[in-house]
Amino acid sequence: MSAVPVTTRTRHSPLHLSRFALHLLWVTGGFLLAVLPHLSALQWWVALLAAVAASWRLVTEIRQWPFPHRALRVLIALIAMAAVFATYRTLNGLEAGTAFLVLMGGMKLLETKTPRDLTITLFVSYFLLFAGFLYDQNLLRLPYMLVTAWLLTATMMLVHQASPMSIAEALAKTAKMLIQALPIAVLMFLFFPRLPGHFWALPDTSKASTGLSDEMSPGDVSELSVSGALAFRVKFDGSVLPPPRERYWRGPVLHDFDGRTWRRARYGYVQRPLVATGDTYSYRLVIEPNQRNWVFALDAVTGWPRGTERTSDYQLVSPGPGITRATSFALESSTAFRTEGPLPKSMEVADLRLPQRRNPRSIALAKSLRESAGSDGEFITAVLTKFRNEEYFYTLEPPRLEADSVDDFLFNTRRGFCEHFASAFVVLARAAGIPARVVTGYQGGEFNPMNDYLIVRQSDAHAWAEVWLGEQGWVRVDPTAAVAPDRVEHGIDSAISDNEFVPGRFFVRTNALLQLRRAWDAVNTFWIDNVVEFGNDQQRSLLQWLGLHDPDWQDLGIALLISFVAFFVAISAWLAWQFRPRARDPVVRVYDALCKQLARGGMIREPHEGPNDYLLRVVAQRPELAGQIDEIRSLYVGLRYGRALLGSQLASQLSRFKFLVNQLRV
Amino acid sequence: MMASLMDRLRRRLRAWARRGHGIASDPIILSGRRIYILPTRLGAAFGVMLFAMFVGAMNYANNLALALTFTLASLGLTAMHYCQRNLAGVKFSSAGSEPVFAGQQAKFRIAVENPSTVPRLDIAIKNDHSSAPPVRVDANGRAVLEISVPATRRGRVVLDFFQPTTVHPFGLFRAWAYLHMPLHCIVYPRPSERAMAPPPLETDTGGAQNSVKGDEDFAGLRGFNPGDPPSRIAWKAYARGQGLHVKVYAGTAVKSHQFDWDALTGLGVEARLSQMCRWIEDAYAAGRAFGLRLPGLDVPPNVGPAHRQRCLTALALFDGAGE
Repeated sequence: MSAVPVTTRTRHSPLHLSRFALHLLWVTGGFLLAVLPHLSALQWWVALLAAVAASWRLVTEIRQWPFPHRALRVLIALIAMAAVFATYRTLNGLEAGTAFLVLMGGMKLLETKTPRDLTITLFVSYFLLFAGFLYDQNLLRLPYMLVTAWLLTATMMLVHQASPMSIAEALAKTAKMLIQALPIAVLMFLFFPRLPGHFWALPDTSKASTGLSDEMSPGDVSELSVSGALAFRVKFDGSVLPPPRERYWRGPVLHDFDGRTWRRARYGYVQRPLVATGDTYSYRLVIEPNQRNWVFALDAVTGWPRGTERTSDYQLVSPGPGITRATSFALESSTAFRTEGPLPKSMEVADLRLPQRRNPRSIALAKSLRESAGSDGEFITAVLTKFRNEEYFYTLEPPRLEADSVDDFLFNTRRGFCEHFASAFVVLARAAGIPARVVTGYQGGEFNPMNDYLIVRQSDAHAWAEVWLGEQGWVRVDPTAAVAPDRVEHGIDSAISDNEFVPGRFFVRTNALLQLRRAWDAVNTFWIDNVVEFGNDQQRSLLQWLGLHDPDWQDLGIALLISFVAFFVAISAWLAWQFRPRARDPVVRVYDALCKQLARGGMIREPHEGPNDYLLRVVAQRPELAGQIDEIRSLYVGLRYGRALLGSQLASQLSRFKFLVNQLRV
Repeated sequence: MMASLMDRLRRRLRAWARRGHGIASDPIILSGRRIYILPTRLGAAFGVMLFAMFVGAMNYANNLALALTFTLASLGLTAMHYCQRNLAGVKFSSAGSEPVFAGQQAKFRIAVENPSTVPRLDIAIKNDHSSAPPVRVDANGRAVLEISVPATRRGRVVLDFFQPTTVHPFGLFRAWAYLHMPLHCIVYPRPSERAMAPPPLETDTGGAQNSVKGDEDFAGLRGFNPGDPPSRIAWKAYARGQGLHVKVYAGTAVKSHQFDWDALTGLGVEARLSQMCRWIEDAYAAGRAFGLRLPGLDVPPNVGPAHRQRCLTALALFDGAGE
């Protein structure tokens, strides 16, 4: 028998909790961490129920309370399920599914008694992490998710360990395994063919998000303008960008006015052909999820990818219910255009209609202005001149307006944001007999020289007007530009007075912070382009980069196969090396090497032979080695079986021992 | 139905492994080629979860969800390798077995040695009848596990196979090997009920026994040998720091039983052996000397555990010669 003692360890947790209680604590913690990213989207009572269940179970464990009765548990679970169903009307959608999972995890905790139950909760937590990505693929989520996945996996190791294991050891081992697993995970990500289309219809994710809506009341756009959130990014092919005053990003076009709120038309319009007359720009637009299907193309869009569509209002819309994740579109636009043909009668009627008995003073003003003007064009100039020359102010905090909002604005408050001016202008134009409509969207954008992207934020939201001028067709008129020319030339920050809050102004005024913000945005753009949006095209160029001329999905399969083989070979070899038989004690290790060398020389150590017997036999067989072997023998016996040596002595003897063994030539 | 099918499959696999790898040497270092690995039920559930995640991620065309799925899948594959490696290279050897009586469980001790510098976690051993709970074997460490086989009849019980197994690290995979290492355990006859009185004590004539040894008069001290009864140890001398010594008595009047095969007429072979076994156990418990006479074997009267073991082993392995 060897001299190594029998090892069975017992460790005690510092908290004096039982092992199961400790595992339960970790599982509950992991579950709560997995729920956390969902908090904002969850119904409050779902989160509350899960939290109560988790804490109840923990207290039950610590205080050794009896479990709630089975009937009670079933009742709570049934009520919770019914409540989820009543709230979401389905169990299929993402939100309902998440709520269902959170409740299931909580209910499972309430009856958790075995490692198997713990594992089920762990699996639910993994699934919640997964669902978290379906909501949001933000770069900042990745580290959180990775750390949580790591903790969950370490907990899984802990739970499935029969012999006691410390948490630190579980975490260390799992981290090592995760790092080893990462290369093949990355290769799978790169080479796994992305299947086109959906297996089942995507449920409607009606998550509230900031962005333009399909109607406009006074105050709507200015409310949006306090948000520094990203709306979309644009990368232009070539280095020429349209000048700032031509950067109009077209969104919903509004026709119906009830005196206060502008809405989209309730009936279809006839598409009039659009002829590009200005500079043409091709660009790629990466739009942030906005739960709408509007693509805010540069006005007016002339080329768009298949699937997307240009409406009769020249607005670009994507297919499907809405953009739920960052999506990119390759587009082409011309900043100047003209519409062919006459305005259809139905459109003319709709775009001249005004609510009856509303805003009488404005209508009267428009009529008098039109009478004094020689033409429609002159009338428009007159209105803009009025805005420019009279006391009208551009502000983010306009006063509240009375029922006749346009009258109140034009004659009383005289302070407004772009939607006030656009709305007033369209009402005046219609009253003067000129078909007009409100266009909402964004205007401007901040150029990031770090990655040549133009960043358009929610604060760039804008509203302007379009009027039908006979031959020219629809002509863009931006009354805001008349009041605050800086708005369209330099952005909202320079158009608003210093004592009003503008998002990002702080950044713009501090150069270091501005650089930081741009760098962060560049990182995010890279993230979206290369990870979130990674797809067939990127896979194709990856394979081309690897030297394949015309790659198809079979090449992806081959690449995947090669990756797997390489992974299996690498991990097997690495583990075989890690687990190779090897003494921990350096003295024994050197002695083993000596035995191996002597064995090669034909003198094999018998299993029963100790170092003295063996080495004496060696000396007897090979007397010429006597000097070296004798010193080796005495050193080894002293080091291994002698009195414990001091550090320096030990080191010098050990190095002498090593040296002698290395010198030995059999 | 399902369980019996699995059982039959397992048996087939075991027979196949035995043909393929033959009888295992003692000790044996488990080579990777002997190790089988399959997902556990939990592993299958994990796989189903990953598949659901995969379908969901593909459906939503969500790259990060897909990345999480792939990471977990890779982790599963890595865990598979760890599971197999946890068992490969471990050295198994027999660590003896204590004799038992028929009707008891024969216990076999298996030493598990870890020759590498990485700890092996959760290594368990099982056979058809029992399983040893998983133990951790530290770097260059050793653990002894015990499995049992029911000993139904006297003689030798053979542990024809045992199965080292592990589900480390996550319980997603089970790695195992079939080791056919023929280990034996002596099974004494089952002691019969206390029905027949033992043969009366005989005064030892001294011929069979060492004339120097006896119970009557103190004759001096000698060095302690393993097997000496604790009652004879000279504790006072030990307390004085003179080491362990045993008091030796001289004299003759040693009384002993003589358990004789031929005296038990009218009983079958096994009944006789059981009866003698009972007598030996009672005499041993009472600290009385006894001798054993079997056809072809004559054990002179003596005391002590070694003597008991010799006699009981003789009973266990008695093959009925002379009948």
